[in-house]
Amino acid sequence: MDIAVETKALRRVYRSRRQEVVALDGIDLQVRRGERFGVLGPNGAGKTTLIKILVTLLLPSSGEAFVDGLDVIRQFREVRHRIAMVSGGENVGFGMLKVREQLWMFSQFYGMPSAQVRRHIAELLERLGLSEAADRRVSALSSGMRQKMNLIRGLITNPRILFLDEPTVALDVGAARDVRDEVRRWMAEDPSRTVILTTHYMMEADELCDRVAIVNRGRIVAQGTPAELKQQVQQDAIVDLQLSPGNRLLDALRAVDGVAAASVSEQDGIDRFSLHLSSDAALSGVMRVVEGSGRQIRGVQKREPTLEDAFVKLVGRGMAEEEQA
Amino acid sequence: MSEAIAQWRGFKAATRLGWKISSNWTQPLIFVIYSVLRPLSAAFILVIMYRVISGGAPGTGAYLAFLVSGVAFWSFVQYGFAGLSNGIVEDRGEYKMLKYVYTSPAHFYVYLLGRGLAQLASAAASAVIVLVVATVALRLPIHPLGVNYPLLLSASFLALLAVIGMAMAYGLLLLQAVDAHGYGELGSGVLYVISGAIFPITVLPGVLATLASLSPLVYWMELIRRSLLGSQAIRMFPALSDGDVMLRLVVTTVATLLLAHLVFTWADRQARRKGLIDMESNW
Repeated sequence: MDIAVETKALRRVYRSRRQEVVALDGIDLQVRRGERFGVLGPNGAGKTTLIKILVTLLLPSSGEAFVDGLDVIRQFREVRHRIAMVSGGENVGFGMLKVREQLWMFSQFYGMPSAQVRRHIAELLERLGLSEAADRRVSALSSGMRQKMNLIRGLITNPRILFLDEPTVALDVGAARDVRDEVRRWMAEDPSRTVILTTHYMMEADELCDRVAIVNRGRIVAQGTPAELKQQVQQDAIVDLQLSPGNRLLDALRAVDGVAAASVSEQDGIDRFSLHLSSDAALSGVMRVVEGSGRQIRGVQKREPTLEDAFVKLVGRGMAEEEQA
Repeated sequence: MSEAIAQWRGFKAATRLGWKISSNWTQPLIFVIYSVLRPLSAAFILVIMYRVISGGAPGTGAYLAFLVSGVAFWSFVQYGFAGLSNGIVEDRGEYKMLKYVYTSPAHFYVYLLGRGLAQLASAAASAVIVLVVATVALRLPIHPLGVNYPLLLSASFLALLAVIGMAMAYGLLLLQAVDAHGYGELGSGVLYVISGAIFPITVLPGVLATLASLSPLVYWMELIRRSLLGSQAIRMFPALSDGDVMLRLVVTTVATLLLAHLVFTWADRQARRKGLIDMESNW
């Protein structure tokens, strides 16, 4: 098996005078060449720390990591020839440069021939809808345009392994779709390319990734294809329950016999509970608890499992709850 | 593609970036006016202060030449040291691009050298402007045909290597700070005091004078004055020949570069260990 990225017992601890935070706690990972691999988890799960180690920005506290067969600690210079990283949600860029100029400049840091790269930049600007902004200063771009420009910066250097850290965070629906389409197209161009993508958008991981590792509190709690992960909750009945706001109900629902897992999120003033029931019969117990709470039922529906459900089943709580915890 | 060509391309791009950052913040005309007025005003403030204090007493002309030549060439340290070390934290805090540059194949040294070179170009312009204007306006004894250019250029080359080395190491150290505003100027300010730019180091208290004598900047300043002013220069090291001063400059420059390399390597390791390259800072 041709491995693009491998980690062995990778651990990273952030120490300050006041506290010690374990960001990665023994990560074992193998990403095959040609894969679109997703690292999925709530904010603070350790996803970005993992990426930072793999792109040689950060040293691990212990363990090993290899990119394209190279040790990220000892062979970091060689690793840098083979990778590119794009982080989302940042207002990045040398503001006084023009978009085209900034992209060209970065290609030079990778030692690329100017004429060839200029054509490539023009193509990518066109495909991501930035042609008209090519001669605009970076400081004049919207955050979505900057993020697209940042993706182009990662692509023009033709890396063997592309690391995308939350590449669509804070993007509107259209821009996020453009980014995902471009990643797919870029991968299709050369089957030996590999993408490692961190995200906390379940839909994105489901749609874009061949395989996914679910990370929580610095540990991988599961990995497999999205279908395999969803399979873990296939035998459960997944029920969405929408209730009017009221007293805390989650613990009472979790205590109902037959409720395997439960999570809640608030949207438009309505509490949306997602319940994993080991049998349909558990629903009557749930309804008794709801009636007892005095809350009004705004909707009930049974649906197909998603990656979010797999996460809830594996972790016991939803992503939003994990982030708050 | 050879590694050397790749690094050369990175160096050229970094130089261009450094120039754009230092010049592209305003209209070209305003930038030219600013570039001329900034060094002139800094130099003339000192000259006026000196004139007021000395009262134009006889024999003060030699010190005026000492002062102006020191201030003119000081711009290399100011621009090079403060500009480059500030640039590192600016790339991290303001542009948030340091992590992308750092993880590119361009050697970090090469990038910083290019980034700093643009600052030194501004410094060269500044030095020439101050010297020309001051020579004419204050009738300093500097004659273009009498300048010892080989001495001036070779001494300046060595000193600028030392300045860039110190700035790189200092800039990497600054990554430790969450709020790194103004530390570049602080560093260049300390060097200003102990470099013999505005007064001979013999007037410094004992420890500072010893410290200053270990800095290549002092010998550079001495050689600048000797090359520009010849026998009319006030000498900080009257017992030393030009060759002796040059030898001291070479030795202290090599020592500074070695020390800077050690500090840089240590600070770079610390930066990767602590995750400082992309740390959120109060820029």
